[in-house]
Amino acid sequence: MSEKAYEVVHLDELDRFPVDDEGLLWRPVRRRLGITAFGTNAYTAEQGTERVVEEHSEQDGHEELYFVASGHATFVLGDDEIDAPAGTFIHAEPGTKRGAVATEPNTTVLAIGAKPGVPHEISAWEEIFVAFGHYRNGDETKAREHLTAFVAANDDRWQGHYNLACFEALTKNRDGAIEELRRAIELDPAAKEYAANDTDFDWLRDDPEFPA
Amino acid sequence: MSGTANVNELALRLGGGPSWAMVRTHFDIQSFGVNAYIAEEPGIRIVEDHDELGERAGRHEELYFVSSGRATFTVNGDEIDAPAGTFVFVRDPAAKRTALAEEAGTTIVIVGGKPGEAFSPSPWERNAEGLVHFANEDYDKAAETYEQFLDERPGDGGFLYNLACAESRLGRKDSALKHIRQSVEAEERFKQDAVTDPDFDAIRDDPEFSAITGQADSAPAGS
Repeated sequence: MSEKAYEVVHLDELDRFPVDDEGLLWRPVRRRLGITAFGTNAYTAEQGTERVVEEHSEQDGHEELYFVASGHATFVLGDDEIDAPAGTFIHAEPGTKRGAVATEPNTTVLAIGAKPGVPHEISAWEEIFVAFGHYRNGDETKAREHLTAFVAANDDRWQGHYNLACFEALTKNRDGAIEELRRAIELDPAAKEYAANDTDFDWLRDDPEFPA
Repeated sequence: MSGTANVNELALRLGGGPSWAMVRTHFDIQSFGVNAYIAEEPGIRIVEDHDELGERAGRHEELYFVSSGRATFTVNGDEIDAPAGTFVFVRDPAAKRTALAEEAGTTIVIVGGKPGEAFSPSPWERNAEGLVHFANEDYDKAAETYEQFLDERPGDGGFLYNLACAESRLGRKDSALKHIRQSVEAEERFKQDAVTDPDFDAIRDDPEFSAITGQADSAPAGS
């Protein structure tokens, strides 16, 4: 990252990493610009019928603000359904369930997040999203390089090993998948519960050495 | 609180400048600063000329996102054409930055925070509480609010300036002149702001106001 006083980038120049198999594109803003004080990313739904914000609640204490930068979306916020044309802000506290589906082509939502009361820490999932983005874009080599580098730098974080296990399972590498999943479970037994319901491992589930 | 709002519904029209949507205070966001500005016409200075080092600034890194229209940014003397969809990220709090709207309806969302520190609101944001009363044309309440703020931060140039604005609107000429003088003494830049601020229309022709704002010195020399 350069240490210029400022950086400029247009939405069209940001990377486009698929997040799911239905067309949701993750457009990393924080990572591209080197922002460190808060998290921010854009999500684009090109067809206009697909999900533009995954349905989730924030488990790590982040509050999030969404801004519909272009197009039109329907948000779910808690139990409410919200019609959100361009120009709408949606604020979600950490435990509140939220998600959005685009209702117009080329809908882009900007998401901004951070945890109150503490200095911002860059979320580990960003690098994992990059790796799986490369995989979904058909570049298995880049995906593997990215994930193994992340795991090497974060050997004590179960999330890295778990996601590498998923990647090995998706690319039909039995031994690698089992080894990485074992390591993830050693670091946090919660990984076993996630693996029990994760379809990435379906073809391995009957293997006598499968650890979940 | 979780909630939703449209940027145009939040925007407060304040004199001749851009409308200001106080997003952070509306949602009571505690982990980053966020506001939006809307220029109704081209030629409006949509981001004031500033750095993040001033007494009331937060030393934040700032992200500007042009969500509609078009603006010309100037950062450290570099001119940047910024159509809708442009992100301008100013990392260095010492960098001078400003932007001029090029189209009617230009909207810029600004997000800020200080790297390595938990977020706390910039002191200038206290102004927001009083500016709501200007938008509602409740100048008594605005004056009362800035008097309270001045009890907390005596001599604050911004609070003095806005108190003078409210007093001018209320026809309290002597108080308005006293407080605009004190604000200019605290921060020279308010001299220039006062010259074009419609809040001072009621006292603009007063020779004391001209003296305070330097207009008396700028009359062309005659022979």
